[in-house]
Amino acid sequence: MLVNLLMKLYEFQAKSILRKRGIRVPNGRIARTPEEASEFAEEMGTPVAIKAQVLSGGRGLAGAVRFSHDVRDVASVASSILEMNMGGERPTAVIVERKMSLVKEYYCAVTWDYQRTCPVLIASSAGGMDIETIARNRPLEVVQVRLDPHLGYSQYMGRELAAKIGLECDKIIKFAGVVNRLCSIFFEYDAELVEVNPLGLLNNGDFVAVDAKLNIDDKSLFRQSDRIKEIQVLPLDRNDGRTYRRLRAKEFGIPTYIEMDGDIGIVADGAGTGMLTLDLVRDAGGNVRAYCELGGEATAELIGKALLTIVNAGNVRIVLVNLIGGLNRMDEMAVGIVDYVTEYPTKIPIVVRMAGTQEDEGRRILAKKGLQYFDNLYDAIQRVASIKE
Amino acid sequence: MAILIDKDTKALVQGITGKIGSYQTQLMVEYGTNVVAGVTPGKGGQRSGRVPIFDTVAQAVDKTHPEVSICFVPGPYACDAVTESIAYGLRLVVAVAEAVPLADAVKMVSLASKRGTYVLGPDTSGLISPGKSKLGVQPDRLFSEGRIGIVSRSGALSYETAKTLTQTGFGQSTVIGLGGGPVWGFTYRNALELFRNDDDTDAVILLGEIGGYLEEEAADYLEKGYPKPVVALVVGKSAPLGQKMGHAGAIIQNGKGSAQDKIRKLREAGALIASAPREIPVLLKEGVRGSR
Repeated sequence: MLVNLLMKLYEFQAKSILRKRGIRVPNGRIARTPEEASEFAEEMGTPVAIKAQVLSGGRGLAGAVRFSHDVRDVASVASSILEMNMGGERPTAVIVERKMSLVKEYYCAVTWDYQRTCPVLIASSAGGMDIETIARNRPLEVVQVRLDPHLGYSQYMGRELAAKIGLECDKIIKFAGVVNRLCSIFFEYDAELVEVNPLGLLNNGDFVAVDAKLNIDDKSLFRQSDRIKEIQVLPLDRNDGRTYRRLRAKEFGIPTYIEMDGDIGIVADGAGTGMLTLDLVRDAGGNVRAYCELGGEATAELIGKALLTIVNAGNVRIVLVNLIGGLNRMDEMAVGIVDYVTEYPTKIPIVVRMAGTQEDEGRRILAKKGLQYFDNLYDAIQRVASIKE
Repeated sequence: MAILIDKDTKALVQGITGKIGSYQTQLMVEYGTNVVAGVTPGKGGQRSGRVPIFDTVAQAVDKTHPEVSICFVPGPYACDAVTESIAYGLRLVVAVAEAVPLADAVKMVSLASKRGTYVLGPDTSGLISPGKSKLGVQPDRLFSEGRIGIVSRSGALSYETAKTLTQTGFGQSTVIGLGGGPVWGFTYRNALELFRNDDDTDAVILLGEIGGYLEEEAADYLEKGYPKPVVALVVGKSAPLGQKMGHAGAIIQNGKGSAQDKIRKLREAGALIASAPREIPVLLKEGVRGSR
């Protein structure tokens, strides 16, 4: 399931949830081929918007959102969007939707204020741009209403938000109606963010969600599985190797898996030491191909799967394993490394740095298998840097 | 006494019968932590080693009077357990669980600040005052008793640094893990405030990482003047943009929270900047000399 990968939903998935909750969205359909796109445009009539379904931002600037007034152009526009590569991500589909004529564009979102530790409603009468840009260019037009985390949301807050951005009369009621619904989605889906930008105002006074984002907190999956099952997913394209490998890593239970363009693999058992390892490898002139971080509940099986994932990324010349465990036991990590090299004998050198809980036992297990280990991180990094092709 | 815990501090362990909870309790007791009680609902009346187990925090408080708690209850139930300790007035709760839902983390942290309880975490390695007491999961042999305070978001990075300090003759007064974020019940600022007046601490090491607001907040605090040398290391300068680097809080978004930015602010606030743990002992020697 693609949706499980990052818990960021695609636009079409977010919009289908908004629509179910009574927020108006443009009439649109998801197309996986240029032919489908053309067919849908013909059915709904032009002008249409054709929008890449990707998780990376900046679609507009990249040319991944385009408009067409002529049905005959739709297939070629869709085709060029589907062939785009946005920072390693290929659009799996496009939305074809009726372009609506708007009186004005607003911004509306619900998210967390981490520093003040509370949920916050954000709105602006200068929608359409990214919120950071709005806040920079027109700071007075970005307004917030903070919620008490224990008392939660009450409908007057939506009206207050609407009034703060200068809406009046009926429009306050209608805007607040959207805020009510966004808030219930935010809390029920354990969201990190639900954002509508632009929220378009139509001639008749209705609001329509022209674009939508919904990011679900990945630490809440255990209580979101029923809702997630209802989200429509796209079949995964196996040719998109990077996405496929990230999905596999997620399935293995590896908390963090990241690919870059170098030739060194890194496995670490802590976020801070993992980042330190990346920095030090870079300082020593090395470039990282793939990176796995195991978290504090690693098992022998998990570290084996991390090594497999790293090697499967391809173009890996050497692997550096940096372990300094508190919760993670080094004896268990050593068993996982030994099991891996026994099951998958490889010519790719694996350099292990091991310290922490049960380190003596862990080092004994490695030595018995003839695996070299280091106590000092810099010695291990020096070793990695010294092995050239 | 060390800043938050000492040899005599009475500690409670929540989730004492789980695999991690029972093993880590044994390690804490061996280290010298004064663990007076454990709580696991449904297992009241049993013992974990010599530690009596209760069904509720209320019973444990009534019978054994703990002041602090370490909570090994897993993410889905952690908010309830931490709230229980806050409700019974414990002054410090260490929330070890990694995968606490964001909404729950916000609730526990905001309640704690209303009630005047320190919640360390969630997703934290806890804290250790070497030679005195340990309320955490640190590999304690890497630590040694001394006069340097360490405060770190990442547990592992604090172990790495303590190991380097121990090998170069700098012992530690207290080492604190703040947790993976993106919300924290206890911050660098809290730690700096406590180390400031601690007679047992000569200098403070601040171990930061990309993302979040904590390092910037610490820089704002230091800027107003701080009586002890502060050495800072911020990791993640080579992390790719927009990726969560293992900690929910370690992500550069909208160009905010980069290592370079945090380093600049900390340097301007007077901190000495290290680019790797092995530079820290050198800077400590300079800093301690400079402050005399």
